Amino acid sequence: MADEKLSAAQRSKIRRLSQPRELAPDEEGGELNIVPFLDIVTNVLMFVLATVSVTFTATIDTFPPRAGSGARAPTTPTLGLTVLVVPDGFSLKARGGNVAPGCNDTGPGIAIPNRNNDYDYDALKACATKLKGAAVEFKDEMGVTISGNPSIPYQVIIGTMDAVRKNEAGEDLFPEVSFGIAR
Amino acid sequence: MANIPPTGPGPGPGAPGPGGPPKPMARQKPASMALYKRMLRKEIRRKAGEPEINFLNITAMLDMMTIILVFLLKSLSSSSASLPQSADLTMPKSVLTTEASQEGVAILISRSQIVVDDNTVCTVPTDATHGVEAKFKRSGPTDLYIVPLANALQGWRERDRQLRLATGKDPSASEAIVIADAGTPYRLLVEVLFTLGQSEFAKFHLMVLQSSKK
Repeated sequence: MADEKLSAAQRSKIRRLSQPRELAPDEEGGELNIVPFLDIVTNVLMFVLATVSVTFTATIDTFPPRAGSGARAPTTPTLGLTVLVVPDGFSLKARGGNVAPGCNDTGPGIAIPNRNNDYDYDALKACATKLKGAAVEFKDEMGVTISGNPSIPYQVIIGTMDAVRKNEAGEDLFPEVSFGIAR
Repeated sequence: MANIPPTGPGPGPGAPGPGGPPKPMARQKPASMALYKRMLRKEIRRKAGEPEINFLNITAMLDMMTIILVFLLKSLSSSSASLPQSADLTMPKSVLTTEASQEGVAILISRSQIVVDDNTVCTVPTDATHGVEAKFKRSGPTDLYIVPLANALQGWRERDRQLRLATGKDPSASEAIVIADAGTPYRLLVEVLFTLGQSEFAKFHLMVLQSSKK
């Protein structure tokens, strides 16, 4: 029995009979065919990704101007920086007086005049950095008051806040902004 | 199932006859029925066990894409990125990269109107360098207090105060998200902020678009 072998006819018959039976269309699969649906979803996904422009937003936290609380005057000197945005540039004021053009001394005039008919934010940042470093007592002072002419666009105000927020090294200058009301 | 019974012993068609010359190929003797059936079952099992791959199955990938689509639609609909960016409202750009705060009542200042919580409270004149029209002010054109805006904020403030009391937060002041057009004059911005301050809103989130440079 051990050396018994199938004949050629038997092998052929086995090959034929062992072929997997093809299922009729109505017998095929018990699952819902969701591939067409997913094709549509893919198209919608591509459409959404191509049309939606992803924009990242941020918020700048500010506080309303504080009225004088009648508290005692600070014992240490404070800078009390105020940036006034005018059509011709930035006018800076501190406790010592109006900052003169060039940001080196006190005196009348616009501290940071416009350059090429545009606001010079880099010079404003440099001036704020210089004023903050003028005395060691100013190191912890974070507040600045920003005011402007009635016609100054909001974008310029935001640019001014950006300029005085951090110095070139990324260290905080005046991140706490209050808005002044020009009367 | 058709079976081929093993044929009995005897000369087959290919077997050499007693008198004639022998045929070149002798017919092989078939195996027993038991062996035949065993081999047939084995072959059927072997072929049935082979995985059948007729096409590339991308269903799993498409499932994943569906999830991404739902996630994108959900996040875009709830984020501030869905704000209408049009000629009427174009947010200013800032180098700030911090996370946008979502807490507070949303106040939109477009070129044509001021909107609080999807309700238009007053119109903005074409030349807004003097703020909104005097008829919306409390006491004339030089006043900073916008009456319709304050009225709209009053209800929201009261609801927020109750909510803050219930959740243990400081109820003394609320927060506001200010979404203003980049060209909004400073005077109009100050009027809105002043009215907010008068309506017991003590923290403002000025919404901007993140940009590498101005």
